[in-house]
Amino acid sequence: MLELRRIRKSYPTPQGLLPVLQGVDLRLAAGESLALMGESGSGKSTLLHLAAGLDTPDDGEVRLDDQPLSALDEPARARLRRERLGLVFQQYHLVPSLTAADNLRLQARLAGREDAAWSRELLERLGLAGMAGRYPEQLSGGQQQRLAIGRALAARPALLLADEPTGNLDENSADEVLALLLALVRDRGCALLMVTHSPRVAAPLDRCLRLRHGRIAEASL
Amino acid sequence: MNAASPRTAFLTLFSHYRRHPGQLAMLIVGLWVASALWSGVQAINASARDSYARAEALFSTGLDRIERRDGRPLTLDDYLSLRLAGAPVSPMVEGEIELAGGRRVEVLGVDPLTLPEISGFRTAGGTGSLRDFLQPPYRTRLAPDTLASLTAEDDALPSLADGRALPPLELAPELPPGLAVMDIAVALELLERDGLSHLLVAPDARVELPDSLVRSAAATPMAPGQLTDSFHLNLTAMGLLALVVGLLIVHTALSLTLEQRLGLMRTLRALGVSGRALVGLLLSELLLLGLLGAALGILSGAWLARWLLPDVAASLQALYGERVGIELALPWHYWLGGLAVTLGGLLTAGLGTLWRAARLDVLGLGHAQAWRAQFLRQLRSMTLAGGLLWLVALGLLVWLDRQPPAEGLTPGFVMIAAGLLGSALWLPPLLAMLLVGAGHLLRRHPLAQWALADLQLQLPRLSVAMMALLLALSANLGVGSMVGGFRLTFLEWLDQRLVADLYLRLPPAQYQAAVDWLESRDEIDTLLPRASAEATLLAKEGSQYQPRPASVYGVTPHPTLTESWPLLASQENAASAWRAFARGAAMINEQLALATGLAPGQRLRLSSPSGPLELPIAAVYPDYGNPRGEVMLTTTDLSARFQTSPDSIAIVLERELPPGAIETLRRDLIQALGIGGGSLIDQREIRRRSTDIFERTFAITRALNTLTLGVAGLALLSSLLAQSSQRRGQLAPLWALGVARGPLAGAGVVQLGSAALVTGLLAVPVGLALSWCLVAVINVAAFGWRLPLYVFPAQIAATLALALGVALLAAVLPAWRLWRTSPRILLTEFEAL
Ligand SMILES: Nc1ncnc2c1ncn2[C@@H]1O[C@H](COP(=O)(O)OP(=O)(O)OP(=O)(O)O)[C@@H](O)[C@H]1O
Ligand SMILES: [Mg+2]
Repeated sequence: MLELRRIRKSYPTPQGLLPVLQGVDLRLAAGESLALMGESGSGKSTLLHLAAGLDTPDDGEVRLDDQPLSALDEPARARLRRERLGLVFQQYHLVPSLTAADNLRLQARLAGREDAAWSRELLERLGLAGMAGRYPEQLSGGQQQRLAIGRALAARPALLLADEPTGNLDENSADEVLALLLALVRDRGCALLMVTHSPRVAAPLDRCLRLRHGRIAEASL
Repeated sequence: MNAASPRTAFLTLFSHYRRHPGQLAMLIVGLWVASALWSGVQAINASARDSYARAEALFSTGLDRIERRDGRPLTLDDYLSLRLAGAPVSPMVEGEIELAGGRRVEVLGVDPLTLPEISGFRTAGGTGSLRDFLQPPYRTRLAPDTLASLTAEDDALPSLADGRALPPLELAPELPPGLAVMDIAVALELLERDGLSHLLVAPDARVELPDSLVRSAAATPMAPGQLTDSFHLNLTAMGLLALVVGLLIVHTALSLTLEQRLGLMRTLRALGVSGRALVGLLLSELLLLGLLGAALGILSGAWLARWLLPDVAASLQALYGERVGIELALPWHYWLGGLAVTLGGLLTAGLGTLWRAARLDVLGLGHAQAWRAQFLRQLRSMTLAGGLLWLVALGLLVWLDRQPPAEGLTPGFVMIAAGLLGSALWLPPLLAMLLVGAGHLLRRHPLAQWALADLQLQLPRLSVAMMALLLALSANLGVGSMVGGFRLTFLEWLDQRLVADLYLRLPPAQYQAAVDWLESRDEIDTLLPRASAEATLLAKEGSQYQPRPASVYGVTPHPTLTESWPLLASQENAASAWRAFARGAAMINEQLALATGLAPGQRLRLSSPSGPLELPIAAVYPDYGNPRGEVMLTTTDLSARFQTSPDSIAIVLERELPPGAIETLRRDLIQALGIGGGSLIDQREIRRRSTDIFERTFAITRALNTLTLGVAGLALLSSLLAQSSQRRGQLAPLWALGVARGPLAGAGVVQLGSAALVTGLLAVPVGLALSWCLVAVINVAAFGWRLPLYVFPAQIAATLALALGVALLAAVLPAWRLWRTSPRILLTEFEAL
């Protein structure tokens, strides 16, 4: 499904190049779920963005569906994201000009496979049924986060990339949302790569990796 | 706060512009342009007024003139015999001389010793002594600006084209521009004349005149200021329009900078800067920017005026015969006035911003939806205010309809301003409504749905720039149609009236000889003698108007003339009107009809040397460009009733003449009658001169209009560019969700293009309404005649294309930048969200 090979990435800063990823290897099979942990600033979001083709590595290769991303041009990568991926961002990135319902349906519509019943079910199961007509800023942080998850799932992605999807939720809600996320992922046979700080959240997933000093290590919880 | 903290707070607030230099540029450009166009117009007006004031002080105005009946120069003998008989007359010679380098200057030769006391020569004449003026080497008195227009050096007068020298210079600031005054002896010598142009005499002095001389009353009882007022009011209106457009830009820029600094301001408030201090800081920022903008604007205004002044001077000369200096004369209040208007406008534009900063809610504002709710309220008040303004405009229209035409100039402009502003205020509600409607229609298309929703969110910022664009587009279309329609009407009218090929002006004594000579020629088809006289239109019982002077004009109602001479109104039809005319009825020009309410079928009373005449009115005819009321009679009637003889002949030639025949006729005519070449004018020449005047008159209107349109385009462009970086951040999530940059950039272009198209479409009816107001209200008030309204499809298409062009230009640059941005950078912006 997803494969990262010897990925290197550094950012230019006023103090010179800041190496973030220094040879990361990672494989994720279809339907598999994986937790990515690591300290703040260790490069988890960077890795996720590379995996989604939002950024290009300095060195190494990202393969999605056995296809190197570097071989695709920008419209092709956009189509891949639209049709195969679901993204949950750390800062949600909801579209402020659209209502909750329209935000949730946005990617499915863009991919040309909106399923009204599925969208309604998602709204319901995420506890957002009563807020379909509200705009993102009229929602609480947790509600926005759930909406972002809903948006990623509405298009039935083959791979879900989630950056701390429960970071803003209290323990109970987090457990609930996580359970939902896992159930949905299992129902659909969708692969999951989830960044989290919390061992509790990482526990139910198939595998857990830790990012440290720019490299990946298997982690035990 | 201690002493240092306001400075820190100010610098913190101002640091915003370091990251957004585009917004700072936009603010300054808006102020600059608004103030430049406004002060440019003011500078032109101030200079013209100065010239009028000087012309009024000229010593020949207010004095009666004595001339020869046959129009030839007076001889020295004519003068001396009057003088010897004790008549208090003073000689004067007028003429033009050419200087080295090709410049021409008007020369006025006077005899100060015989000038009547009231001539004001002593006050307007200059600073030097009378002795120097009267004795060789004499003196040339000129105003400093005349000197400056003649020579580049400071005090050296150029010599004449033929190498002779002018008398030594004496500066006389009170003299009107373009005029040199000197003693009559030296003037005669320089002009190489031996006759006098005319004699001047105080209006109350009694003089017995021989038959060969006539006395005419002091010219123009009306001050030039009154006649030219309409012209200057027109300019002022254009300046005001530019000011409003500029201030709309400023408003856009200010709201943008405030909105983006809300977070910063909230932080400052949280750090202990009081709300009042915050407003004070913003106010000082505004003042700083205002002073900079005003200084730039006033300087460029003076420059703009200097650039436009030659055209203005030419139009004023052509329209009203007023000489206006082409050197700027700027009184001190020009500078202060420009500053005051700019700062006042800036504060008005910034008031809303300050108000919002003062009420800054530490949590609530800055949220797009809170903004949206507020904007919805704003839309409602805009609709309401727009409606009210329209009511005012309509009310004024109804009121104006019942006023005598000359009263309507200022209320007419107020009406136009109200209508324009009302329409501008209706633009944002209209756009919002259309967006909601389109949103419903395009629900199924996600990118379109997003683009519409996003445009709705941009609307508060965009709408002011769009309003500016609407104003400029409608003004451009309205004025364009008016000028185009005027040109069409005027040229057609000129063609209809210029039925003859040649026009011969001649002294009455030579009239019969000329007719005899002309009738013997084969080239001539018809001779149409013309005559003219002056009379007073007398009031009748129950009439609404005061007695007023009117010219009386005599034409020969030959079919060549009557078949093409245009009429505006007649009792039955044109043919019967001309029959009545031939039997002795009068026709009146539109100016007179509008001013008095006289109409075909009614009768008018006219003074004449043989007592009051009462004549039926057969028709009303258009008479563009003539500032005066006119009554038309047949030449025979006129000659009989006003005891004069024809003073000119319109010569209609045979159709198919061999080439060169006109030239031969011309030469023979001049030779046979011993007339000057200037008395014989060819139809093409008149046409050329009239068209020339016409073009000059509207040159400046066009220039100002184009500048305003440019400014509005700039407004839209800069306001879009100023938000483009922020916009890219909003595009990033969509990009991450899988919309490629191409469609994203395209969506942006379509968004703006359609908003601009709506603006352009609204500008079409508004512009046409404006054009109607200009031709039917303003023109009548300013000149006394009405123009037909013309609609030019090409101009409408150009307006729409312009709207689209400006928007596309403004949209394409950010879109192109977006398209060129590598995803990496987009991602950085995305992360910075
Ligand atoms: N555009 C950028 N330019 C420069 N440095 C960056 C950029 N983006 C991220 N970094 C740096 O790269 C490092 C990794 O960032 P990243 O966002 O991947 O961390 P993270 O593991 O997701 O942290 P967190 O758990 O706090 O979200 C950080 O030190 C960050 O400062
Ligand atoms: Mg992160």
